[in-house]
Amino acid sequence: MKIVAVTSCATGIAHTYMAAEAILKVCREKGYECKVEKQGALGIEDKLRNRDIKEADLIVFANDVGISKAERFKGYEDKIFQTKPHDVIKDPYSIFDEK
Amino acid sequence: MRSVNLAEVLLPEMVILDCDPFKDKEDMFDTMTRKFEEAGFVSDAGKYKKALEYRESLGPTYMGRFVAIPHGKCREVIKPGIGFVRCSHPFLYESSGESGEVKYAFVLAISDNQENDYHLRVLATLAGMLAHDEFLELLENAADYEELIQGIKDLS
Repeated sequence: MKIVAVTSCATGIAHTYMAAEAILKVCREKGYECKVEKQGALGIEDKLRNRDIKEADLIVFANDVGISKAERFKGYEDKIFQTKPHDVIKDPYSIFDEK
Repeated sequence: MRSVNLAEVLLPEMVILDCDPFKDKEDMFDTMTRKFEEAGFVSDAGKYKKALEYRESLGPTYMGRFVAIPHGKCREVIKPGIGFVRCSHPFLYESSGESGEVKYAFVLAISDNQENDYHLRVLATLAGMLAHDEFLELLENAADYEELIQGIKDLS
């Protein structure tokens, strides 16, 4: 199972990074491959490549503010799980919930 | 996790361990914003408190597991910093329509300019660490400031 995620939040510091770490942690625990792109105050970090997006079984959007470069995800809408960084932090396993 | 020097922003004068529980969030903000001003991180505690409140209006900063991370970004932040308070008992923290018991609060002061990337990195690292059980255990068990800082270094 391959999972990619994009996290972002209002101030671009706290929730963005905490949610990213929470997603990486639960994926490690389950033995899933995982990449998380952070769109925070430091700009875009660990940017997902088109290949990552294409090969992913699940795309998690954990964002409070609009995602930059959203056009990369066009055509993969059926793989996208939309959530909030806050919800991911409180219950990281919620990303595996049925859509 | 990337190695950054948290000790540089988490200064002893900004860490309160085993403080009596606050009456509410407002009470905690008053105490912490005053400390930030006294320690020279912000030029105006009142304006910085307004920045914290503005951020509260955007969404909850209660993180579950007894942790809250209110943060404020404004011109009055002279240098970015972190304040940490550990209460002896939890207090009820209400944040953007959510509420929960809080024992550990990290209060972040973020400067308005974007030039301080290193400091932003430090704050981001701290946020990432909060997702780890080992870090939460350290917050609970650290006997004093030195133990807390050493533990953070070990986990970084």
